[in-house]
Amino acid sequence: MNTVAPSGQAGALYWPVQLRRNVGVRSLFAVVMAFLVAYGFLFPGLLTASGFAKFTQSWFPLALVAMAQAILMLTGGISLAIGAMVSLGAVIAATTMTGPLGIAGGAAAVALTGVGIGAATGFIVVKLRLPAIVVTLAGSFIIGGAALLILPRPGGAIPEWLSDLLAGNTPAAFVLLMLIVLLWKLYLATPLGLSLYAAGENPVGAYRSGVPVDGARIAAYAISGLLCTGAGLFVAAQTGSGDPVIGTAFTLNSIAAAVLGGIGFLGGQGTMRGALAGSLLLSLMISVMFFLGFTPVAQYVAQGLIIIGAVATPQFRKVQQ
Amino acid sequence: MTKSSFFASASALCLGLLLSLGAGSQANAAAKCIKGDRKAPYTIGWANIYSVPTWMKQTQGTIEAEVETLKKQGLVDKLVVTDAQGDANVQIQQIQSMIDSDVDAIILIAGSSTAPARVLADACAKGIAIINFDSLVDTDQVTAKVNTDSAQWGDQAAKFLIDAIGGKGKILILNGPAGVSVSDDRRKGADAALKAHPDVTVLAETNTPYNVAPAQEAVTSLLFANPEIDGILSLGGALSAGAVLALDKQGREQVPITGENARQFLELWKEKGLKSWATMQPNWLGAFATYTAVQALEGKDVPAFVKIPLPVIDNSNIDQYLARAADFPADGYIYSPYDEELFKKLLAEQ
Repeated sequence: MNTVAPSGQAGALYWPVQLRRNVGVRSLFAVVMAFLVAYGFLFPGLLTASGFAKFTQSWFPLALVAMAQAILMLTGGISLAIGAMVSLGAVIAATTMTGPLGIAGGAAAVALTGVGIGAATGFIVVKLRLPAIVVTLAGSFIIGGAALLILPRPGGAIPEWLSDLLAGNTPAAFVLLMLIVLLWKLYLATPLGLSLYAAGENPVGAYRSGVPVDGARIAAYAISGLLCTGAGLFVAAQTGSGDPVIGTAFTLNSIAAAVLGGIGFLGGQGTMRGALAGSLLLSLMISVMFFLGFTPVAQYVAQGLIIIGAVATPQFRKVQQ
Repeated sequence: MTKSSFFASASALCLGLLLSLGAGSQANAAAKCIKGDRKAPYTIGWANIYSVPTWMKQTQGTIEAEVETLKKQGLVDKLVVTDAQGDANVQIQQIQSMIDSDVDAIILIAGSSTAPARVLADACAKGIAIINFDSLVDTDQVTAKVNTDSAQWGDQAAKFLIDAIGGKGKILILNGPAGVSVSDDRRKGADAALKAHPDVTVLAETNTPYNVAPAQEAVTSLLFANPEIDGILSLGGALSAGAVLALDKQGREQVPITGENARQFLELWKEKGLKSWATMQPNWLGAFATYTAVQALEGKDVPAFVKIPLPVIDNSNIDQYLARAADFPADGYIYSPYDEELFKKLLAEQ
């Protein structure tokens, strides 16, 4: 398949390595597949273009924040400011895009804010050696407050056509997600991306081997910030407006999705596909349980059981071995 | 057979009555979102934003009771309930699922005053009756909105308090959560009266969830900082209870305070002999929304906005409320009585 010899050798190793990396999340993939099949069975409309579009739209922002959290957790960090960042991205988009800045200007403002705040957070955590959990908790108050200052109550607007493009009856969100996953793959091939896992799993060893540990970690925070405000922009487009507290629930859900996807708290463990599958499961559960006719209380219980089940199965196998 | 024919004749009779009622104005004007292709018995979707607070449980109780009544009339066959656990994004997804499963009506308390607008427009386009109550969405793509007037709530509360402290003095203002429309609107409603009385000084304002404990904590710390407080403008019932408890625990004298029909607050009011005034967001808004949805599906024209007058509790009628206290949860809200006659009147009045 490969014409160049060296990459041919790498290619031979690529798939076995990728398969090995799936070991911890195989049961999660199985559960997600089962839920997808169940959903398609319960709601045949899922297989139509608009049904698929609507479903991927409800998953998309959660997928982005799961990635945002996973990047940080892979470097041994964490963020409690994910939700606040989503809110901030949403209110910036909703207040700028119909103004003089226009859509391009608004999108740029959203992106710059995400990267800027992310990088600043990363700088404080990495260079000042402060615990990420404390810095991002404090950050969540500042960022959440900023969102409330920009838009004290829900309002603002997103151009109708942009809403229709991103969150209409076309699977634009799914295409975007595939693009982002592709970009992630490319990033992992860059020096900073390669350093990500090393910086997370064994920072001292990596540093001694000449890996730019600090740079990799700060870059991870910046990318994470960008993903969060990007998710905010999407939520604003999806809802056609801005809401200064719309993101709140994303903080915990991003951690849940990442952990469900096999990302370890200690850094360097886990895969992005795991985090994505985790977020997909969280999103699928809501719809599938609706169609199964579960009452809200039964849903709480079932959600907890499914999460424990998906996380515990690989551990159970490990213990048996 | 006899039963169903009884229902048929009964519903025909109802329909006849409805037609004769509507004949004066526009006999065939269907309500917004209604296409007339949906037939009884209907499936009602209740898209709750958060089921845990007692106020929500009581509200759901009135919805379930109303559904039982409508089931007996053969108008409703199923109630589908979702709980977004406070997450506006999840609520949107659940409303989407309701559309996908083709419910006939959606009643909702919105988790965000803007976020559900687009998904509701989709539902409206599918001919689903949508009744939005309590927390409203800024959209006209719904069949009807039902609410009390939050600005009036704040205005009446402020006027009572200013009057109670003699037009001057130092007050605290207790608000619900920041960035939430209901809380924001109540506060804004109080502004005019406060501005008209420059001798009323606002010492501090709090933003807490509508729960006793956080309000009590917030007021306690404000008490340390402010030795002299003449009144408390509380814009939520549980907040008032928290404030009264905070004053009590600190051994401070009770001051005039506004509030809501929270049972705990009403009992404290009586127990401490407070100088108070309270209104309410009646839980039966839920039952009324359900009733209105079915009326709209049955082809009746319903107003786009149904404003529910604010019931007022003061020293003249607090005993009537407390007499019924045993029927309500200890941390619940004692709402004013309701029946179908009231609902009919509310729909006709608009």
